[in-house]
Amino acid sequence: MTAALLAAAQDPKVHLTSQTRILAALIALAFMLLILELIRRDRLQERFSVVWFVAGLGMLAGAAFPGLLSGVADLMGVRDTNVALFSIVLLLLLGLALNFSVIMSRQAAQITRLAQERALEKAREQAGSVENGKPGSDASVRGTAENDFGR
Amino acid sequence: MRTLVFIPAWNEADSVAAVIADVRERLPDADVLVVDDGSNDETGARAAEAGATVASLPFNQGLGAALQTGYLYALREGYDFCAHLDADGQHPPAEVARLLAEVRADRADLVIGSRYREAGADGEGTDGVIGDDYKPTLSRRIGTGVFRFFLTLATRQRFTDTTSGMRAANRRVMELFSENYSPDFAEIESLQLAVRQGLRVEEVPVRMLERAGGSSFLTPLRSAFFIFKGMIVLLVGQFRPRKVGAER
Repeated sequence: MTAALLAAAQDPKVHLTSQTRILAALIALAFMLLILELIRRDRLQERFSVVWFVAGLGMLAGAAFPGLLSGVADLMGVRDTNVALFSIVLLLLLGLALNFSVIMSRQAAQITRLAQERALEKAREQAGSVENGKPGSDASVRGTAENDFGR
Repeated sequence: MRTLVFIPAWNEADSVAAVIADVRERLPDADVLVVDDGSNDETGARAAEAGATVASLPFNQGLGAALQTGYLYALREGYDFCAHLDADGQHPPAEVARLLAEVRADRADLVIGSRYREAGADGEGTDGVIGDDYKPTLSRRIGTGVFRFFLTLATRQRFTDTTSGMRAANRRVMELFSENYSPDFAEIESLQLAVRQGLRVEEVPVRMLERAGGSSFLTPLRSAFFIFKGMIVLLVGQFRPRKVGAER
């Protein structure tokens, strides 16, 4: 048991094989092409694509320069480069998912306010047509009426 | 002094007209607005027939967003006071009138109608209310107890009916709620927020009825989830900035 542990400790670092490096490079390239295609088809907005391009470039860099990854692994104090890779990717994805939740929350609030504004507009129109010229009807009601005349 | 009574309604076509008629009878000087929260049935049309102004949200946004729409309308249209009650017939408009009397007399900024607070010895109000008295289910009683405890702890003010949907408010509250109103946990967080902003929040005992139609959405599992969410909301609310030197 102890012997096995010692042997493991003395093992040279576990590196990525050339096979995995080629595969990773190909996947990274395909991924970046996919992003480009999505933008071209208006399925993805440019401002949301930046982070994915950076991710694709990171993948490519990792595949092209394995020294980079083992350097990072050393920095983290991890013997297995793959473990370092996985934990970095996992953390990045976690941050990205959180970022999307934040964006979603903001958009949900915006949608709610939009729905409310539209409902209020309709209600104001209705109230204005029922009791026309009622004192105290404020400027926004009159504004709507003018718009209707202008059309 | 203009008063708006608004009624958030989601698929309440069967009961909304009767509630509006009742409000118009009991509160003849108030304008009535129904906030139709993306109903799939005839709620909006029935409400308009019954003589209410209707603000229709294009899709269901939840009770909080519907209530906020009412506060927003009251604020923008220059109403001095507003009140809201449920569309399912649980809330007698005669009781809403008593809540409004409190804010009109400037004894409070926000008044909550409480099912659970004992009425004073004089037994004021509650006249002409016909129907069975409100009897809470077990899961609701547990939820009520938990929220009552934590909200009282958080605000250092005694609350008995934290989820009451019968409230009356003045313009200060309209200003606050039209900007800050949690879309999915409206009732409790709004009380915490109002107290933290230095507003005078008061509970008035009211009589509520068994619901006229439909069933409560609370199953035990949903109640548990509801309670859990409520506690997170309250906890987060405690870390929101408190208005410094809030005018009383």
